[in-house]
Formats: sequence, C-alpha cells, structure tokens
Amino acid sequence: MKLWIKIILGLAIAGIAAALLIYHFVINKPHPDFEKIKPDYSLNAGAFYNEFKTSKENAHKLYNGKVIEITGRLSRVESADTLTIAVFVFNQGMFGDEGIRCTMLKKFSAEAKKLKPDGIIRVKGYCSGFNDTDVIMEHCSLIY
Amino acid sequence: MKKYWIVIIITVGFCINGFAQTYVTKNGMIRFYSEAPLEKIEAVNRQVNTALLTQTGDFVFKVLMKSFNFEKAMMQEHFNENYLESDKYPEATFLGKITNIKDINFTKEGSYPAIVEGKLTIHGQTQPVKQNGTLEIKNDAVTAKAKFNIFLADYKISIPNTVVNNISKSIEITVEVMMTKLNK
Repeated sequence: MKLWIKIILGLAIAGIAAALLIYHFVINKPHPDFEKIKPDYSLNAGAFYNEFKTSKENAHKLYNGKVIEITGRLSRVESADTLTIAVFVFNQGMFGDEGIRCTMLKKFSAEAKKLKPDGIIRVKGYCSGFNDTDVIMEHCSLIY
Repeated sequence: MKKYWIVIIITVGFCINGFAQTYVTKNGMIRFYSEAPLEKIEAVNRQVNTALLTQTGDFVFKVLMKSFNFEKAMMQEHFNENYLESDKYPEATFLGKITNIKDINFTKEGSYPAIVEGKLTIHGQTQPVKQNGTLEIKNDAVTAKAKFNIFLADYKISIPNTVVNNISKSIEITVEVMMTKLNK
C-alpha cells in the first residue's frame, strides 16, 4: 500500500475515533451518578433550611447546583405520581408545611417509603434551589 | 417585594373573601418541548409550586430552573449555563388569573374550559400571557391543564449560531398541575 493511502486511512480512522469519543464523552455523556458523587457540603437539615430562609441569595450562590448531604428529623414521606419525596418540615406558611423536600432516586423509593416519621435520617442529593417555601433536593439517596 | 408575591396574593384573596378555598400542590408538572431540524429537546419539571384561589381566580406558579430534567446531561448543562442562565435567574413564575372562574363549579365534578391571563417571567423577562386551558374537578382535586408556545426571543434567550439548527425559536410548554385543598 502506498504511503499516501496509509496516511489518509490513518487520518480517517483517527477522525472517526475522535468523533466517537466526542459523542460518547461530551455530546452523549451520562448524567452524574448522584448516589456515588461526593457531597460538596454536609449539613444539619434545619441549619441548611434556615440559610435559605434568612438569606436566599447567599444560599443560592453557595448551594444551588451542588450535591448536599443533610441530616435531620424526617417529618413524612410523600408519594406524588411516580415520585417519592422525603419531607423535613421546619415552618408553617401560607402553603402549609415548609421545609426541605427530597425527591428520591427510584432505587431508594421503596426504602424511603418504609422510613418512620420522627426518625433521624441522612440524605444526599442535588440542590436545585429554594422556591420561597421549600428547599428542593433531587436525585436523593439515603446514607447509612 | 417579589419574594413575598405568593403570600401577598393569597392574603389578598383571603381578605376579599374569608371563605375562599385555596388549592395547592408542590408537585405540579411542566414540560417543554422543542423540535428543530436536527434535534428534539424535551425537559420535565415535577416540582412546580402552584396555588389557585377559587373565589378570585388568582392562579400562580413558581418553577426552579434547575429542577428541569433532560434526557441528555449536556442539554441540561447548556440549558442552565448558556441559555437560561439559571444561576442568575433561578426561577420562572406565572402570576395571573383564571378570568372565567365564575363559570367553574368546584362542587361538581367535570372538565371546564378555563381562560388564563397573567404575566409569565422567565430569564428575568416578563411577558403578558393569555391562554386557554382546562380545569378538571375530580375527587376533591383540581387539575389544571394547558399547552401553549412561547418565543425564546420574547424572553431574551439567545441561541448561539453554532447550534441554531438544533433549537427551535419557539418552544411548546405543557402545564399539568393537580392541586388539592389547602387545609388551614
């Protein structure tokens, strides 16, 4: 095989490999594994909620889009559609209970539904912000 | 002031009519869908805070932008970082009224057409919105449904030229919120 053909073939293969790698690792990269990801902050649930309640802007800057591990007394577990939500209540407002709402990863739904209210639990999840009534955490897992 | 908008609306509602019934949910659903020549983009948010006052027709919802979940992680990153700038504008709100609330009998099960009028704020930009939807009354719950289109340009959401074929200039918004009576 002539040298120039080898070079063209080599470049073509390298180009295809690069395109596949870009597709796999950049364009089609998977969502983070929130169960395994190391938390950015580990906090008491009440203190975490109070930070949002007292200074929403500062808390947004610190915690939005971060993985947070919280420890606190569980108020109840709700089911809504396909979601299972662990709820920590710290306040009463115009919408009723206010606090932290942790939507569980599907893998932890059954386990979360067995949790008893008033028990101390540790939950890790992605903080998507504070909507003036509740701090919302998603992709949550239980930590033992 | 903006911070207390929900409290103000509901307080005013109660003052106007002491026996006003409030329906709420913290798990409403909003989906958006964009179909462009090269790509379909869909995201769902199931953490929508919603309140409806039956006496006045006041209807409000609030959405955290980072609660939108996409199929592809990269789309979600671009949505939050480049297009919606979710760190700068973390929430979207709708503040309005169901203008034909008197035509809706909340004590009788059924599906009722609803006209919703108000102001929608996305990406820090507020635009007037008037849409038709339905209210379904069933088992003491009220489900509000609506589907409408918004133009990205109206909310100053700019799309870089490099991906202009991947994203439609208008997106379809689907709202479906099942609210239950607020027990005070």
